[in-house]
Amino acid sequence: MQAPMHYGRWLPPLLSEHGSQIDHLIDVLHVFMGVLFVGWGIFFLYCLTKYRQRPGHTARYEPVKGTVSKYAEIGVGAFEAFLLVGLSMPVWSAYKNDPPAPAERFEVRVVAEQFQWNFHYPGKDGKFGPTRADLISASNPVGLVETDPAASDDIVSVNEFHLPVGRDIYVRLTTKDVIHSFAIPTMRVKQDAIPGMEIPIWFKVKEDAKSEAIRERMTQVFPMRKANWYRLRHHIATQDYKDKDGQVLLARGQDLGATYEAGQELLEKLEKAGVTELSMQPRNPLEVICAQLCGNSHFKMKAQMVTHDDAGFAAWVEEKSKVIEFDDF
Amino acid sequence: MSKHDTHADHHHEELPFWRKYIFSVDHKVIGVQYTITALVFLMFGFALMMIMRWQLAYPGQPIPFIGKYLGDTIALDGILSGDGYNAFGAMHGTIMVFLAIVPLGVGGFGNYVLPLQIGAPDMAFPRLNMASYWIYLPGGIIMLASFFMPGGAANSGWTSYAPLSVIATTGQTMWLLGMVFLITSSLLGSVNFIVTAVQLRAKGLSFFRLPFFVWAQLVTSFLLLLAFPPLEAAAVLQLMDRVAGTSFFMPTGLVVSGVEQAHLSGGGSPLLWQHLFWFLAHPEVYVLILPALGIISEIIATNTRKPLWGYKSLVYSAIFLGFMSFIVWAHHMFMTGMGTTLSTFFQATTMIISVPSVIILTCLIISLYGASIRFTVPMLFALSFLPMFAIGGLTGLPLGLTASDIHLHDTYYVIGHFHYVVAPGTIFAVFAGIYHWFPKVTGRMMNSTLGRLHWFFSFIFINGVFMPMLFQGMAGILRRQYDQSEQLHGASAQGLSVMVSWSAWLLFVAQIPFIINFFWSIWKGQKVGANPWEATTLEWAAPSPPPHGNFDTVPVVYCGPYEYSVPGKKTDFCPQHVVA
Amino acid sequence: MSAAVAIPHDMEPHPVTGMYNGKFGLWLFLASEVMLFGALFSSYVLLRMGAPEGTWPKHGAEILNVPLATFNTVVLITSSVTMVMAWAALKMNNIARGQLFLTVTFLLAGAFLVVKYFEYSEKFNHFEVWLKEPMVVDGNSVSSIRGHLAKDCPPLTKETHIRAFAIPEFILLDPDAPAGSKEHPPTLRIDGGNIRRISDFGPAHSTFLATYFTLTGLHGLHIIGGMVVILYFMLTGSRFAQKRPDKYADRIECTGLYWHFVDLVWIFLFPVLYLL
Repeated sequence: MQAPMHYGRWLPPLLSEHGSQIDHLIDVLHVFMGVLFVGWGIFFLYCLTKYRQRPGHTARYEPVKGTVSKYAEIGVGAFEAFLLVGLSMPVWSAYKNDPPAPAERFEVRVVAEQFQWNFHYPGKDGKFGPTRADLISASNPVGLVETDPAASDDIVSVNEFHLPVGRDIYVRLTTKDVIHSFAIPTMRVKQDAIPGMEIPIWFKVKEDAKSEAIRERMTQVFPMRKANWYRLRHHIATQDYKDKDGQVLLARGQDLGATYEAGQELLEKLEKAGVTELSMQPRNPLEVICAQLCGNSHFKMKAQMVTHDDAGFAAWVEEKSKVIEFDDF
Repeated sequence: MSKHDTHADHHHEELPFWRKYIFSVDHKVIGVQYTITALVFLMFGFALMMIMRWQLAYPGQPIPFIGKYLGDTIALDGILSGDGYNAFGAMHGTIMVFLAIVPLGVGGFGNYVLPLQIGAPDMAFPRLNMASYWIYLPGGIIMLASFFMPGGAANSGWTSYAPLSVIATTGQTMWLLGMVFLITSSLLGSVNFIVTAVQLRAKGLSFFRLPFFVWAQLVTSFLLLLAFPPLEAAAVLQLMDRVAGTSFFMPTGLVVSGVEQAHLSGGGSPLLWQHLFWFLAHPEVYVLILPALGIISEIIATNTRKPLWGYKSLVYSAIFLGFMSFIVWAHHMFMTGMGTTLSTFFQATTMIISVPSVIILTCLIISLYGASIRFTVPMLFALSFLPMFAIGGLTGLPLGLTASDIHLHDTYYVIGHFHYVVAPGTIFAVFAGIYHWFPKVTGRMMNSTLGRLHWFFSFIFINGVFMPMLFQGMAGILRRQYDQSEQLHGASAQGLSVMVSWSAWLLFVAQIPFIINFFWSIWKGQKVGANPWEATTLEWAAPSPPPHGNFDTVPVVYCGPYEYSVPGKKTDFCPQHVVA
Repeated sequence: MSAAVAIPHDMEPHPVTGMYNGKFGLWLFLASEVMLFGALFSSYVLLRMGAPEGTWPKHGAEILNVPLATFNTVVLITSSVTMVMAWAALKMNNIARGQLFLTVTFLLAGAFLVVKYFEYSEKFNHFEVWLKEPMVVDGNSVSSIRGHLAKDCPPLTKETHIRAFAIPEFILLDPDAPAGSKEHPPTLRIDGGNIRRISDFGPAHSTFLATYFTLTGLHGLHIIGGMVVILYFMLTGSRFAQKRPDKYADRIECTGLYWHFVDLVWIFLFPVLYLL
């Protein structure tokens, strides 16, 4: 059984290959920032106590000699240069300049709109069907030219991003209306989607990061006194919780309700029934979210991300593939 | 014929009330007008945020007390709506930056103190000064009036990114019109400040004898002069897009709500707006901090009873900072698809610009060494400014490097970062300045006990507001989110949001002693003379309050601005206008 | 001036800058104006470089009226000359001559605006129609047609909420004569169903025209602003000059600086928009 993980108050779980370099840079930076702050702070507090005004004490007119500060300043500058050249530029360069080779990568088009994520897969033939703006409709969000042979096996998925683990994922990102931003916190991926542009971005999901497994690892036990609907609204129970008569109050796989009021009501009932803790896990542990203000439902613009091993992914593709019957024409 | 105007004109006719206090050309009256107006806007902007914090702490629940009065667009059934939240957010940012902080720092403190500190009778162009204020006020009113438009106020962020802002409701057009007024006011003001600081200095006041406050205002004015016009141009272009159907920022092939925008010509670039906007908005943040650094420096010098350490470093750093601020703007745009060349350039300039900021902070901290520190109320604010500014500046580092920015861009880390610089940064400096110069403006001191209460609780609660945000950002929680718990990782840190909200509301309560103190002291404060702080700079040579024309006799300057604790002197301060 | 204090260097040049306050202030203002027009020119460059194929005319002359603009350029340069002569006359204490040259400058600026009015109104009477299916015009198959609305064409209404013309049932269009010829093709009837987009040659037409109208419009506003100031001096100048000739000459000098700048902007605008 793998180690548990959860979202908390520091960095989210890391599930991509390139993410460790980003996390490493963040850690190094914060150590550096901490050193500077504590250094300044100690000197600052020292001065406040030693040089407070009191009888018999006068200020010194002559300035203190500043060689220490000059070398410190140079040191700071040099370290910043190292951070830039040594730690940031290589990561950015790989992030931007080294796309995975076309033969090996898994391509998917992501088309953002107010307020959903559309995922356009090329299907088994590996070719994206053409799209046209005037064909866009509620049932055809990317405007796929459905009569084109290349489009016959394309899959368009709304708000569900399925992808295989352990393979280079190559996303072609665009948007229909306003600027959005394709962000996956667990993958350390973020890219603005700008209308009129198609921007590529790539990442690789860690081999062991199948969303089923992640869901299990994110199982947590919440003491009742700390349970509140806002915290648990996306979670489902991992076991049945019954009241004193054996009635199931909260079934396995069920969530706490759709609203705050409903949730608080259920939590009260559970507490009255003597339940002291809840074992719950997120229904959808991985999310794609929008990181650029795009309108009044910007906060709700999210897609469920489902990571599969190769077999699982192939099964999903099979299930979703459309087959156009040519003798229907 | 041209001679009679060069005599000091002290025997002027008594002006009617409206010429003396409303449409006055006296920089002191205008400074007070700016300060009062800006403080009102500051409170309004704060109020907007306090309402938003309710929604963030308790999403979907009706706002107590005032929810039912907000109208259906903003808050149906008293629950803040998505559009209402976005409108409040966009207006909070706009009001704080353009209607409150800059008018306070430049229009308020700059206007009042700068001519006094250089020994001038007024600004170089007094009527232009009056015009600046009377263009700022309507600009602010237009902005606020946008709340009453159908569709509500501007709601595309203070950054107004296209195409969202182009397709937004009417409030956005008023935002743009308001910006044109505000920018015009700023431009006229900056011309005035530069000409005044260069040409109206008293005899003997060479550039390197200027108080650092004046240098800070001078650099700020150059930033305003040169950085604002591109935003004015951008505002005109966006107005054209919204009103005249152009496509400066609208690319080809847009489909909004399923409708192809075939009536537009297309061919525009959303990134063009971002470049033009940030070309101003980056120097703008130095406009927010430089006057504050100027205020803090004066207060530190006065309350340490010794010259500032590294005066020349401070001056050169401020100038270098001003220059560099024009070439870092695209670090706000790292996630737009920028390649390696451009991003390397902007990361490098961003790293370089941190150097003068570090130098300025270090000089101010080293100024405490060997001092004799008086913990007056202004000094409490000035001292607490320093570590707060340090946190703000340091948290800029992960944002300025693209690799770490991937995770932190558009999260609460950014909000924490910049608020640390403007809130416990600039706003504390503004408070410090008010306590420090109140006796000069009114001839009375503010109450020290109320001041200490104000400082102590403000310091605690302001950290309670912004420190958790840094953690939320690290956890990946995004900004501009109507309901942070909608996203799974956001839900995990919802408790932090509750803490932030309560700190914000308590922070408001902590301002009550200040408001009481401010008004009470105008009438009942302890009366003082010209120089209650025993300071050296020229404003303290004028009576408290100074008359029209400022100085009974035109001062001549004999020494530097911070001659405190000079060995061998009877007093521990040598005013600039007194022969050494 | 009432209740005004004596401001140092109001007229006396300052040792550091060598200028009196007003002149230094005006140069600073011009610096900000350079940033304003500079931002717009930069936007033009960015938009033109990023423009999709065929959306930007190869030369401005395809759409704009070069002869009229050339005439305007001469007019504006002349007005700068007369502005200098006004200031020179005032410096030599010849108030009447100075005021006369001011008036000539004002009239020349007015002429510039009148020509501009004709240039602009021509654009709003001219239309372009983009078709869904190509049509044959004058033996050629085209997918967009330019021309004027025929006499009996139903009027087009601008539906402001979509900021463009609502697609009509049909329009009757007199197509433009092909380049180099004087013969107009016969009137065309175009079905609404075949119209993808219809626009006059106003700012909404294309990014090129949007840039043209914005740049020349903003420049025109600056001309109007200058004219207001010159008019004020035309009306009040003689009296003021008699009391304070030195100060008056300074004010005209500052106005002249502004006017030369406005002229200079046009000297950049003209080749960039019309000739390139």
